[in-house]
Amino acid sequence: MGAELITVSTDTQFVHLAWKEHEKSLADVQYLMGADPNGKLSRQFGVYVEDAGLALRGTFLINPEGTLLNSEVSFFNVGRNIDELMRKFKANLYVAKKQAEACPAQWKDEGDKTLTPGPSVVGHVHEALTK
Amino acid sequence: MTESTNGCGLQLGASVPDFELQTYDPVKNDFGTVSLEQIKADGKWTILFFYPADFTFV
Repeated sequence: MGAELITVSTDTQFVHLAWKEHEKSLADVQYLMGADPNGKLSRQFGVYVEDAGLALRGTFLINPEGTLLNSEVSFFNVGRNIDELMRKFKANLYVAKKQAEACPAQWKDEGDKTLTPGPSVVGHVHEALTK
Repeated sequence: MTESTNGCGLQLGASVPDFELQTYDPVKNDFGTVSLEQIKADGKWTILFFYPADFTFV
């Protein structure tokens, strides 16, 4: 879909290999598994927990120009929803192409209703989304 | 661009400084490196997915 997905933890790339070989639920993994053992990248993105020496569950979306457009961070014990990540990625792809439009809260996929911000929509979002 | 410090590292809308990561590539079954500059040069988006540790749950 035009994105490079890279998972990152403070494990080394050698542990990633061992985990991939060992854990059956990773059998179909095709993405790059990044190593951040000194925590440098995790600190840069504000997800490094000093006491634990581990990264929080953070997801960051960066466009091809290098701008950070989305971030989501959760604590250790709550996982992230992949459908939500796909929704955000598709929404960002869409508004990058259609810069005059915005994806409202209910937007899930290409084809769903969008909003075109402007004076006529102010106070009339309901009409704009239901017409 | 400057990095903002609202306790969240980088701020949304900021330019992400180039970084390089050592990687394991399961498709090639090999080690390598990846850099943000390289992904940008390929015209792709980057999704960074941090997680605490291998061999754990969730």
